[in-house]
Amino acid sequence: MVNGYAPDSLREALELRAKYDVVPYAGGTDLMVENRPGVTYLFLHKIPELRRITVDENYVRIGAAVTFTEALSDERVPQLMKEAVSRIAAPAIRNAGTFGGNLGNGSAKADSVLIEFVADARLRLVSLNGERIVAVEDFYLGRKKLDLHSDELIAEILLPRTGLERYSYQKVGGRNALAISRVSFAGVFSMENGRITNVAAAFGAVADTVLRYRDIEQMLIGKTFEEAKALKADYLKAYAQRMVLTRGRVSAEYRKNVCMNLLNDFLTKFGI
Amino acid sequence: MDGIRFTLNGREVVYDGSAADRLLDVLRDIYRCTSVKCGCKEGECGACSVLMDGVLYNSCCVAMGAVEGASVVTMEGFRETERFHVLEKAFGEVSAVQCGFCIPGMVLAAEALLSRNPHPTEDDIREGLSGNLCRCTGYNAIVNAVSIAAKEGDGLW
Amino acid sequence: MDRISESVVKKDHLPKVSGRSVYVADYPTEGVLFGKLLHGKVARAKVLDVDVPELPEGYFYVDARDVPGDNNVNIVLDDTPVFCRETVEYIGEPIAMLCGPDEKTVERLRDACVVHYEEQEPVLDIRTADHVFFDYHFGHGDVDKAFAEADKVYDEEFETGYQEQAYLEPQGMMAVPEEGGRMFVHGSAQCAYYVHGAVMRVLGCGPAGVHILQDVTGGGFGGKEAFPSILGCQVAVAAHKCGKPVRCVFDRREDMEYTSKRHPSLCRYRVAVKDGRVTAMDIDVKFNAGAYSTLSAVVLQRGIIASPGIYNVPNLRVHGSAVKTNTSPCGAYRGFGAPQTFFAVEMMMDHIARDLGVDSLPFKEAHLVKQGDATSTCGKYHFPVPIPAMIAEVDAECDYRAKRERYARPQTGRYRRGIGMSMYFHGAGFTGSGERDLIKAVAKLRKYADGTVEILASNGEIGQGVRTTFPKIVANELNLPLEKVYYDHPDTARVPDSGPTVASRSLMVVGELLRRAAIKLREQWIDGVEQEVEERFREPDFMIPFYIDKFQGDAYPTYAWAVNAIEVEVDTYTGITKILGAYGSFDVGTPIDYNVVLGQMEGGFLQGIGYASIEKMDYDAKGRIRNNSFSDYLIPTTKDVPNLKCMLHVEKYPDGPYGAKGAGELPLVGAPGAYVEAMEQALGGVRLHHAPFTAEDTLAVIAKEGL
Repeated sequence: MVNGYAPDSLREALELRAKYDVVPYAGGTDLMVENRPGVTYLFLHKIPELRRITVDENYVRIGAAVTFTEALSDERVPQLMKEAVSRIAAPAIRNAGTFGGNLGNGSAKADSVLIEFVADARLRLVSLNGERIVAVEDFYLGRKKLDLHSDELIAEILLPRTGLERYSYQKVGGRNALAISRVSFAGVFSMENGRITNVAAAFGAVADTVLRYRDIEQMLIGKTFEEAKALKADYLKAYAQRMVLTRGRVSAEYRKNVCMNLLNDFLTKFGI
Repeated sequence: MDGIRFTLNGREVVYDGSAADRLLDVLRDIYRCTSVKCGCKEGECGACSVLMDGVLYNSCCVAMGAVEGASVVTMEGFRETERFHVLEKAFGEVSAVQCGFCIPGMVLAAEALLSRNPHPTEDDIREGLSGNLCRCTGYNAIVNAVSIAAKEGDGLW
Repeated sequence: MDRISESVVKKDHLPKVSGRSVYVADYPTEGVLFGKLLHGKVARAKVLDVDVPELPEGYFYVDARDVPGDNNVNIVLDDTPVFCRETVEYIGEPIAMLCGPDEKTVERLRDACVVHYEEQEPVLDIRTADHVFFDYHFGHGDVDKAFAEADKVYDEEFETGYQEQAYLEPQGMMAVPEEGGRMFVHGSAQCAYYVHGAVMRVLGCGPAGVHILQDVTGGGFGGKEAFPSILGCQVAVAAHKCGKPVRCVFDRREDMEYTSKRHPSLCRYRVAVKDGRVTAMDIDVKFNAGAYSTLSAVVLQRGIIASPGIYNVPNLRVHGSAVKTNTSPCGAYRGFGAPQTFFAVEMMMDHIARDLGVDSLPFKEAHLVKQGDATSTCGKYHFPVPIPAMIAEVDAECDYRAKRERYARPQTGRYRRGIGMSMYFHGAGFTGSGERDLIKAVAKLRKYADGTVEILASNGEIGQGVRTTFPKIVANELNLPLEKVYYDHPDTARVPDSGPTVASRSLMVVGELLRRAAIKLREQWIDGVEQEVEERFREPDFMIPFYIDKFQGDAYPTYAWAVNAIEVEVDTYTGITKILGAYGSFDVGTPIDYNVVLGQMEGGFLQGIGYASIEKMDYDAKGRIRNNSFSDYLIPTTKDVPNLKCMLHVEKYPDGPYGAKGAGELPLVGAPGAYVEAMEQALGGVRLHHAPFTAEDTLAVIAKEGL
């Protein structure tokens, strides 16, 4: 085909990716809006390895070309991810849009990416030279800046199988459907033996990348409820100081306010 | 170089243009499927909705390379079916069509919904049509029409 | 329900639902040149020069120098140029049109044009804008005395924003030079004869030198009242120069950013109250007209006439102005100036009531106009005012009074509720003597030998159903099956001028002409021959003559009435408001097709709710519209107001066909008043002063008030 390749295998796709200046196409819902003139696409929808959801000992592995609609009907996909994905745009966009595409677009508004941040997801990136596994936080370098080499493709998203059961999620958009996130929040909580083992919080659509502050989370790790409650004010203050939001159509002040309310609600929900 | 082969409303076709071209433009300009309307070219209105292998897509957000091997159905094809007739009748009964610009896409969205969920609740219908903007009706009549069609066409989906 | 109200399958249903209807963009492209406008990129500047790239053969650059007639588009005044004069006055002003056979090449050539500007400081703030296009004063009674004697004086300001029509089909027009030199212009439009008049003038030809066809039109809402005249002139000039058909269809961003929208407004209300009653209002209404005057005069007239609401105000002083800013010219939008002032007066009444320690509903009820009372312009409400019964209907539907009382109590927790109500009219038909003096509508019926009857009129089907309701009226009078009567899209070459498709007038005014024509035809009916009958507009004889210079007399023959209630639930963490229910009772007289009217009410009401809540559009410090796409300018989806209930109340109008009154605009007008009043209640009784009232606004109030 002219201005495009639609390989049947990952191997072939990687060869094309290495050889030509191609833009990986996995869904197209963002790319087609950009509509770069003269672009050559590498279509990924025919590659079976990229269209599978599998499970291993530690991870639910979602292929980069799996669509949101496919994930919604797969019982292995964690509920938290489904909740976020179900709020993306509308059916036709979810039918086309993929997990790899959402990542590859490099936007902090990507609803599935928020969940990958809060869940400590890892990504499997592949090239002809092999593969590497990177944490999603390290993959996102900034707005439209990704740690993806020009010969690499995103192959899979590795979501932890456990630990995502207790969560808080909220998408704040401009309306009830077909909405781009103005703020999105996801928090994941776990306790063992009366002590907090995880209190991850991630904020989407408010800065160049999804925001997550592990050092502030550390304030509460290992703490009991009572200890955490005593630290809550300092913890919230630390977030308030740290979060510097980018300007947008909707004011930074509004979005910051929402972030703090949702963070507070997250702690309250889990008894802190 | 080989063209892009796909099925359009049941007919085998080969597109020789760029794989980066929009399905919307190709359907309208090359194959004269003008029931597929251009409302925004950004996936935000649903007026260009088509079915590919029975699944609903915004044709403005599909590059031709992604169409290879697929079966594309637009209103030009769907209107020949019995299911269309049931939907058409239901839309007519409640006067769900005003300016009409969103309607071919809306009917295809209804078809996609009913194919997956033949007995939808009102919430299901509103969710199924949520990517299709209509500025005329306030949606009530459209939602009612789909609900009527689901009942009248019981067994077709 | 009257028999005429029984719903039928609409005449245009099948072609539209099956995708067979041909909109202007759907005509074949063979032999048609693409036209793309070169829009100005600065808000105010002298245009020094344009570097036009070398044009391949068959490609054209068309600008003001190519206009054979007058480079002014006939709207109300003649200040809107077809292509810019020496200056550009807003971002997006058309400088030229590039035409050619390949769309991408035309776009490339257009984008390669370099415009040299001598920039000037744009005027963007209506508070400081000093160029006043229109300035009106009217009133009655002794306002100063009432203020001097008042127990209390209230003084508040209210603002409303832009609203974009957001019809799903963008603007598009096409011009085709015909053999013999006649120019054929067709496209997406509400008013074929407006385009006709405008193109004649621009081409410098007589009425026979041009004809206009309205194509199937994908929504108008006022946005295709005047704008197609401008675009129609541009393609006509281009086709004249190129000697080939030229079509220009806007893309969505171009349409949202550069075409006319609802006027943003700033209204100041000073109100005198004595013994718990409003004794006087002193109202100042200011509309942001944008860079050219277009329809601002008439939009402003309707707005200020409605400004005291539906309340008896014994002493009234109204000042209205439409000011120029260097922004996209504003124009017609469903409601036409009235949504702005009804919002202001409803909020004002609410604020006064609460200050007096009473709820707004009984306070408004105590001031309601009734049959026989004087209107704001010293005309008369000639017919019953059914508002009390409609309030009762809405209350019964949503338990308004009980909820209003319940939600007024202190609320705690994340989610807070409120309910609000608005009540208002929409003056049916043109303001003042427009129908009698300006429009002078003519409609015809042509009966063919086979017994079929064609309606000849110029009112366009834009989704509101005239291709169905007109034939219903005629078929009813002629006792013919509906299939025997038809109404095609108007072509000025073959239909008389029955006026534009605006002002909620088509059914009430032209529908009545057709009813009378049908009676005439019935009386003259001879089988097997072709016959034609004609009817002309006659002003109802009960009307008190209206004088626009004094704003005195009956501004409208009758009124459509409505009561809206909206119930909300605010998420205090996010500012997001869930609309629990929207309830409306609407009186548009006899519905000439129940489904058609219900569809108008539901659609209009939802547009109004959008206007009140999520539809926010503004411009930046350079005068550039920031919200120019469907992802930035949000209109309601299927999921935003699932509980939308509209009821029809019927108060028949004797001079409308079978008692029908104007319907199209009414349902949009009152939503902001009801919505923002509900928001006030949910937010603990705060006083709010603007619409749209967004999630961001909501959270700001919550933060400020510590809710």
